[in-house]
Amino acid sequence: MTAQSIPADQLLSAIREAGVQDVVLVPDTHQRTVLDLLMDDEEIRTIHCSTEDEAVAVSAGLIIGGRRPMMQIQHAGLYASVNNLRGVALDGHFPIVLLIGLLGRDPELEPEQDGSSMVRLCRPLLETLDIPSHLLDGPDDLHCVAEAFDEAAERNGPVALLVGTTTS
Amino acid sequence: MTDNTERQRMSLDAALDVLARRRENQVVVGTMTANGAWRQKSPHDLNLACIGFMGGASALGLGVALSQPGRDVWVIDGDGSLMMQLGSLGTIAGAAPSNLLHIVIHNGVYETSGSQPLPSQQQVDFARMAEGAGYAQTASFGDAEEFDSAIDELLAADGPTLVQLYTRPEDRFYSARPTPPGSTPALARMWPPVAEALR
Repeated sequence: MTAQSIPADQLLSAIREAGVQDVVLVPDTHQRTVLDLLMDDEEIRTIHCSTEDEAVAVSAGLIIGGRRPMMQIQHAGLYASVNNLRGVALDGHFPIVLLIGLLGRDPELEPEQDGSSMVRLCRPLLETLDIPSHLLDGPDDLHCVAEAFDEAAERNGPVALLVGTTTS
Repeated sequence: MTDNTERQRMSLDAALDVLARRRENQVVVGTMTANGAWRQKSPHDLNLACIGFMGGASALGLGVALSQPGRDVWVIDGDGSLMMQLGSLGTIAGAAPSNLLHIVIHNGVYETSGSQPLPSQQQVDFARMAEGAGYAQTASFGDAEEFDSAIDELLAADGPTLVQLYTRPEDRFYSARPTPPGSTPALARMWPPVAEALR
């Protein structure tokens, strides 16, 4: 199998169709074309955070206040956010959807076979944290975006979407 | 360099009294030792707490503030807590919520773990850091009466505002009790009623 690049406008459409109002982010090189569109978008607000664990807490606060946020980070940020994923998203039962870029992933390989520990350990870590994840390996997988919000609401907890290749 | 070792300091009790007298319908996010004291002084449906994710109070408060621009949000942070998430000063300044008051209780120690000193040895000045980050207003007080005289003007102006309160360290060592299996964590119990009240 070979992962296919997702066009930025298609990913943005999927985000919009999922009803996202705020994207809480630490910039991800892997999704920079989507970020460019998001920062120009007049309907979806972007909130720029210094760290990814902060982004978890900001997202939780937005949910308390009635908003529908989505986090957008890269895999290194997942590792940096573990304490708040545990203490806020999991313990607080917050339905936070995370869009995580697998920067540097070899598109010919499953993430668990990748030479980079940042790619390889991503899904095992999410599994350890009991956070369901879905791999977006091309435009055909974009239905997972809206479904992730439904899943997060049903389980009262976080759900991760892994962007398999650099967006175009 | 700011040397706080000989600085005038108020009691935590007196500092929180000043705020409690102004409590109306603000959402208040407390953390660490100040949280328990605050909840006793100002029990309210709109109290939230940062428990189990030290350092996260300011970011949680920022999210609430951005979602509820018509309502004031107060964060009662600790100095050791804020040191763990100093980047939140830049995040808050960048998002620029005019309705956010960020109180920092500066006692110079990690009180809950037995009052060990902060890495800064009391010298860190969060008001200057916040000013440098781009907060709209910053202020520092070591005397409760001075704080009481100034707070209304600070509350009336647009934020984000950081107020650093120098307080005396107190003996508030906290020894955690085991959590029974199957318990619902405090945050999961706490926030749904707040969300309901905000609808």
